[in-house]
Amino acid sequence: MGDSTGDTGSSMHGVSTDKTGKYDLPVDLEDRATVFKLFSFAKPHMRTFHLSWISFSTCFVSTFAAAPLVPIIRENLNLTKQDVGNAGVASVSGSIFSRLVMGAVCDLLGPRYGCAFLVMLSAPTVFSMSFVSGAAGFITVRFMIGFCLATFVSCQYWMSTMFTSKIIGLVNGTAAGWGNMGGGITQLLMPVVYEIIRRCGATAFTAWRIAFFVPGWLHIIMGILVLTLGQDLPGGNRKAVEKKGKVVQDKLGKIMWCAVSNYRTWIFVLLYGYSMGVELSTDNVIAEYFFDRFHLKLHTAGIIAASFGMANFFARPAGGYASDIAAKYFGMRGRLWALWIIQTAGGLFCVWLGLANTLVTAIVAMILFSLGAQAACGATFAIVPFVSRRSLGIISGLTGAGGNFGSGLTQLIFFSTSQFTTEQGLTWMGVMIVACTLPVMLIHFPQWGSMFRPPSTDPVKGTAEYYYVSEWNEEEKQKNMHQGSVAFAINAKSEDGRNAPSTITV
Amino acid sequence: MAIHKILFASLLICLLIQSSHAATKERLFSDLEKSALEDTATPSRVGEGVGVDKLSITWKVSSTATKEPEFKAIKVKLCYAPASQVDRPWRKTENELFKDKSCPHKISSWSYDPAMKAGQSFDYTLERDIPTGTYFVRAYAVDTKDHEVAFGQSTNEDKTTNIFSVQAISGRHKSLDIASVCFSVFSVVALLVFFVNEKRKAKIEQSK
Repeated sequence: MGDSTGDTGSSMHGVSTDKTGKYDLPVDLEDRATVFKLFSFAKPHMRTFHLSWISFSTCFVSTFAAAPLVPIIRENLNLTKQDVGNAGVASVSGSIFSRLVMGAVCDLLGPRYGCAFLVMLSAPTVFSMSFVSGAAGFITVRFMIGFCLATFVSCQYWMSTMFTSKIIGLVNGTAAGWGNMGGGITQLLMPVVYEIIRRCGATAFTAWRIAFFVPGWLHIIMGILVLTLGQDLPGGNRKAVEKKGKVVQDKLGKIMWCAVSNYRTWIFVLLYGYSMGVELSTDNVIAEYFFDRFHLKLHTAGIIAASFGMANFFARPAGGYASDIAAKYFGMRGRLWALWIIQTAGGLFCVWLGLANTLVTAIVAMILFSLGAQAACGATFAIVPFVSRRSLGIISGLTGAGGNFGSGLTQLIFFSTSQFTTEQGLTWMGVMIVACTLPVMLIHFPQWGSMFRPPSTDPVKGTAEYYYVSEWNEEEKQKNMHQGSVAFAINAKSEDGRNAPSTITV
Repeated sequence: MAIHKILFASLLICLLIQSSHAATKERLFSDLEKSALEDTATPSRVGEGVGVDKLSITWKVSSTATKEPEFKAIKVKLCYAPASQVDRPWRKTENELFKDKSCPHKISSWSYDPAMKAGQSFDYTLERDIPTGTYFVRAYAVDTKDHEVAFGQSTNEDKTTNIFSVQAISGRHKSLDIASVCFSVFSVVALLVFFVNEKRKAKIEQSK
């Protein structure tokens, strides 16, 4: 045996053909782990988890590395407020496209190559900060660095090849949350690195350029680790799995239509733009805000700004967990209410942050805002898997892209012009969060209801089976392509809340 | 990067009586005695070609100064002219002294005693972290509580005359550029080497 590419084109690097099943963790029929052991590095499952979230986090570090150093960079490059704001918009815009492309890349080359390619090919963009001499260069480089945020997709894709669907919510939420922490880590890391370089004798305008070498090196190190220690599949060949009928070859056009014609997709695109989107925007402006408004030193502002991003460590998984608890008692309606409450609360704390006049109230408001926004991200992706079974990948990708789009838009309106001071911008951003979270009230599942409407009592159309199977037409049902959706619908009975059957067998 | 020539101007200092406010937060710029000090600042380039430029600064107490006995120290600062404050709220001029950000760069300071009425003349070499922009020089006279009581500046009240411009260093270095290129090339090449290597191993495995 020596077929060295899996049928998706993903390499079989590290995959043993020895099928005696010697894994550290219990696995399902597709060799995906059914248990999540956080402090283990055992191959392949937990090792993949750690490689994946750390490389995603590294990309967050480099994308937002400029933010805490803006007070120095703006003097070196003679930037105006508009330039600083536009660079912030640019830093999140690139990945709108790269996240959409990364899905295809993962299908063609596998998540390991997808991740490694992106991380190592974006290292030059990070190093090129040393060449920047004006606003145009700064904006361009931040745009190019921002492409690497597509590692979100490779991270989530990789997790779903390694962990079974029952725990994928927690696994993906933890991986995404810990990855997003990079946006916080960078606010601490970069000012400290800058300070050390300055103390070693470099002038201010050179020191910040040298500081960018650190995220650049992290890219190279993580890329090499992913290539040498990572593997695409836990074991087994994708074609064999397909033969068992569990994975269906579907048509891109159909999946896309299924995704875009479902109105819920677009509501989530908007919602995520005002939970993840505002988190990204805040990562870009918060250090400079504390530096300017409260006359702090650069590394003090960095420490405060870091605690915003670091809250992701528990806030995002907590949001997912809160959604799960709400679902236990109230089903899907509980999840929708949880999302609305958490995200609106985040918006109100953001309003408070802009209005805070003293340092202490500002810090308190910021931390509460971070908890709200990040938990809302977790709660969003606790519902997204139920929007569609057929088009889950594309809807997740669109939602993720919506996050970046929301971030770019918010930074453009509120933080790039002289019309608003930064504190006014924060307040209005909070108002916009509250307003843009209202559409969650419009999300209605016939089988489970919505925030204000009960589920449909129609015996046919009011069932989960009907909802998920209606994504396929008659011809496709004849070919039995819809079996996965039927199984999913049965499992999804847990979203009925207290009325859910106590045991579910498939 | 070369720094442009900057103009020479005289510095005079005048006194201003400070309105008695205990709270530092409410000390206002408009309360300071204007033109209590007379300042001039003259830029000059040192040597030919690339060099670090200097400002020749003089300050002296004006004959019209009234609060001269309160002076304990003179602080001279480099301030942004209005053109350099446009679209840059972090350099904004505010009347409340603790909020004012228009004079962030300290040049030097002296303890003052009445014998120094005739003023001082000195050369200031521009620091390497001064940004590109247009500037003037202002001297503040502070009292024993370190509160400003008077000031004088090398330009007029509208900050339109005797403004000089500074061109900052870029911060770029050839060695940095080279290191940057080297690491970038390493990253791309390492990736390609791994990729090609794995494909080659796969082909070898297949042909076995």
